[in-house]
Amino acid sequence: MVTRRTAIGAGLAFAAVACSAAVGAYAPTTRHRRDARSIDALLIDQSVEMSRPMAAFIEANRRALPVVGVQLDAPGQVGLMRVLDKSQAIVGVSSGATLFCLERIAWDHGFRLTARSERCAGDPGDDACRQDVAAYLAGAQPLAASFTPPARAYRPSRADGMLHAWVMQKSSPQFRLSFREI
Amino acid sequence: MKLPPNVSNADFTAALKAFASIVGDQWVFTTDEDLELYRDSYSILWGEADERTASAAVAPDSADQVVELVKVANRYRIPIYPISTGKNLGYGGAAPALAGSVVVDLKRMNRIVEIDERHGYVVVEPGVSYFDLYNFIQEKGLKLWIDVPSPGWGSVLGNALDGGVGVTLAPYRNHFEAHCGIEVVLPNGRMMRTGMGALPGAKTWQQFKPGFGPRIDGLFKQSNYGVVTKMGFWLMPPPENFATGVVSVPKFRDIIPLVDIIGRLEQSKVVQGLWNLSSPTTGTPPFAAHEAGPPKPLDPTIAAILNDPAGVDMDKLDAAAQSKGLPFLACDFNFYGPAKLIKAQWDCVCDALGTIPGAKFKLGEIRKMPLSPQEQTKTRDLGPFGIPTLKTFDLGPMFSYEGADVVGHVFFSPVIPRTGEAAMEAMDVFAAIGRKYKLPGPPLQFPSTIFERAFLFAVGLPVTRSPTVNAKLRDIIRELVAVSAERGWGEYRTAPAFYDLIMGTYSYNDHALREFLETIKDAVDPNGIMSPGRYAIRSHHRRESNGD
Repeated sequence: MVTRRTAIGAGLAFAAVACSAAVGAYAPTTRHRRDARSIDALLIDQSVEMSRPMAAFIEANRRALPVVGVQLDAPGQVGLMRVLDKSQAIVGVSSGATLFCLERIAWDHGFRLTARSERCAGDPGDDACRQDVAAYLAGAQPLAASFTPPARAYRPSRADGMLHAWVMQKSSPQFRLSFREI
Repeated sequence: MKLPPNVSNADFTAALKAFASIVGDQWVFTTDEDLELYRDSYSILWGEADERTASAAVAPDSADQVVELVKVANRYRIPIYPISTGKNLGYGGAAPALAGSVVVDLKRMNRIVEIDERHGYVVVEPGVSYFDLYNFIQEKGLKLWIDVPSPGWGSVLGNALDGGVGVTLAPYRNHFEAHCGIEVVLPNGRMMRTGMGALPGAKTWQQFKPGFGPRIDGLFKQSNYGVVTKMGFWLMPPPENFATGVVSVPKFRDIIPLVDIIGRLEQSKVVQGLWNLSSPTTGTPPFAAHEAGPPKPLDPTIAAILNDPAGVDMDKLDAAAQSKGLPFLACDFNFYGPAKLIKAQWDCVCDALGTIPGAKFKLGEIRKMPLSPQEQTKTRDLGPFGIPTLKTFDLGPMFSYEGADVVGHVFFSPVIPRTGEAAMEAMDVFAAIGRKYKLPGPPLQFPSTIFERAFLFAVGLPVTRSPTVNAKLRDIIRELVAVSAERGWGEYRTAPAFYDLIMGTYSYNDHALREFLETIKDAVDPNGIMSPGRYAIRSHHRRESNGD
C-alpha cells in the first residue's frame, strides 16, 4: 500500500515554512463576501510532507491567499478557530485523516465540504492533482472530464494518509465561536 | 420529513415551531444535509433500517432555553436527545439512541463559567471542549493542568457523563469521579443543582462533593434523567517535573507478582501516575487497542509462535525471549511532581519490584514542566502532559476487513480483575476469538491500567460501510459479551447498538438494577421524552411499545 510517507517522499517543508509565519498574521482577504467562490485562506496540513514541485506549484498559484498551517494539536486549534471564525470559504491540501477531523471541526463553524479531489492521492505531483488544486485556488470547480466527484463527506479509508485537495464553504449558522467566559 | 415515533405530523410541526420560537429559526435543523451531521460516522448500523438517525436538531444557547425546550418536548411528547459536542465517535457520536429523536445540540453553550486557580476547579457548560479549556488556561496563564482523553476535541462535561477517562494522575483520570457539582434540567423542565449547589449562594459547590443527603450525581452518568447544563471539575496543579521509569521482567508469568506488587503501591498511593504494560518480545505496545492497521513486522521465530493457528504457546515465547536476551514484559510508570518526590517514588518501585528475579530498572530523564513548544512538537503522545490533540486519527491508513474498507472502530470494553491471572486469562480468551474471526490487531494485547483497582481490556473492532460485514461484527461482539459475562467480566461503556445487550448482562436478581433504573425513569420522566433508550433505560410506555 502506498502511504503518505512513501508517496510524497522527502519534499520541501513548504507548509511548515509558509504557515508558521502566516497563522499569526492571518487575515481574510474579504469578510462576509457574497460570492461563495472567493477563497479566504489556504490550509496546508503540516503533518504531511509535500513534494518540492507541488509546493512550488501551490506557491505560484496561491496569489496573495493567506496560507494557514494545520496541526491537530492545541496550539494549532487556536489558529484554526481564528480562520474558521473569519472565513467564508477555504481551500485545503491535507491528508485524508486530517480532512476527516477538519471537516467535523469546520461543521461547527457552519462550513460544509463542497468539493474534494482524491487525484492527489495517487501522485501528488501529477497534472490531475495540479489541475484540481489550481481550480480550487481560483475558486472554480475542476473541469477535467475524468473527474469523478467523490462522496462529499470524507470518511476514513485506505487513503487516510494520502493527500487530498478540498474546498469548504460557510453555508450554515456558526455554532461555535471561541470559548466564552462569564 | 422524518417523524419521531408515535408523533403525528401536526404535533411535530407544532413542536418545531415552538422550538424555533425559543432558540430562533436558524437554530432548528430539519434538512437532510444538516441532519447528516448528526449521524455517528463510526456507526456499526450505518445505512441499515436500525441506524439511529435524528428527525431534527435544535441548538439552544443557554440553560434557560433548555428548560423551555424540555417543556415543549413534554407538551408534544417529542423524544429529545441532548449531546454536548457529539464527537464521541464509536460510542454514538452525535446520533440519538432512539431513531427519530430530536437532537438537542448543546455545543453553542461553550461558556467557561468559573475557574478557580486557588482551589483548583473549573465550571463548564457542555460545549466546552478539552481544546477550549486547555487553550483558555494557557491564554490566562493559570497554574492548572487538565486531564484529557484521546482524542481531545470532545466535551469536558460530555466525556465525564459518558464515563470517559484520561491518562495523568489517578484522582483525575476518571473524569466523572473528578467532577464536583452538577446543574441539570430535569425531564419535567425543572432546574436542579446537586451537592452543595442546592444551597442558594453556596460558596463550596465545587469543593465538597458529598453535599447533604443522598449523593445523586451518579444518576446522571450514562443515563437519561436530565440535561446536564453545568458541571464542576477538580483540576490539578501543574507538576514541576515529569519522568518515566521502565521496569522489565524476564518471563510472561512474572505478570502475576508484577501486578500484585504494583497494586499495593497504587493502593498506598505511592504510584499515582499511569503505568502501562508492553512486551519487548512480542512488540506489543502500551495501549495496543489504539493501534490501527496490520501487525508490525516481528522476529520470524517469535512471529511464528504468535501466529500459531492453535494459539500462542507462552512457554515457547518465554524461551524465544530468553534466547534473544529480551525481557518478556516491560512496565513504564509516569511520575509527576518535585524531583525528590519522583526519585523517592522510583526508589519505592525499585525496592518493591526488585523482589522479582531478573527485574531491571531504568529511570528516564526528569524533565522540567511545562514542555516547551519544541518539545511538544517532538512528543508523539501529549496526553500524559495534559495536552489535547487529535493525533489518534493519524495513526496510519485504514485497512480492510472481510473485503470491506474499515471506516472506524467500535470498542468492546470489559472490566476485568486487577490480577496477573485475570490478565492472562483475558488475553487468552480474547486472542482466541480474534484468531477465530481473523480480526485485525495485535495477536497479543495487554489490559489497560487506566482504572485504579481493575483492568480495562478494551478491544477495538473494525466498523465498515458494508451491512453484511457489520452484521458479522455485531455477532462477534455479542459473542465477546457473552464469553465475558460467563467469566464475571462486564463492560463499562458501549456503543448505542449494544446498550440493551450489555444492560442485559447486569442481571443480578432477575434484573433488579434495570428495574430500579426504570422505576426512577418512570418517576422523573413519565412522558419518556429524555433520551429514550440511552443505556437501555426507558420509561413505561416505551417499554410497552418495544422501545418506541
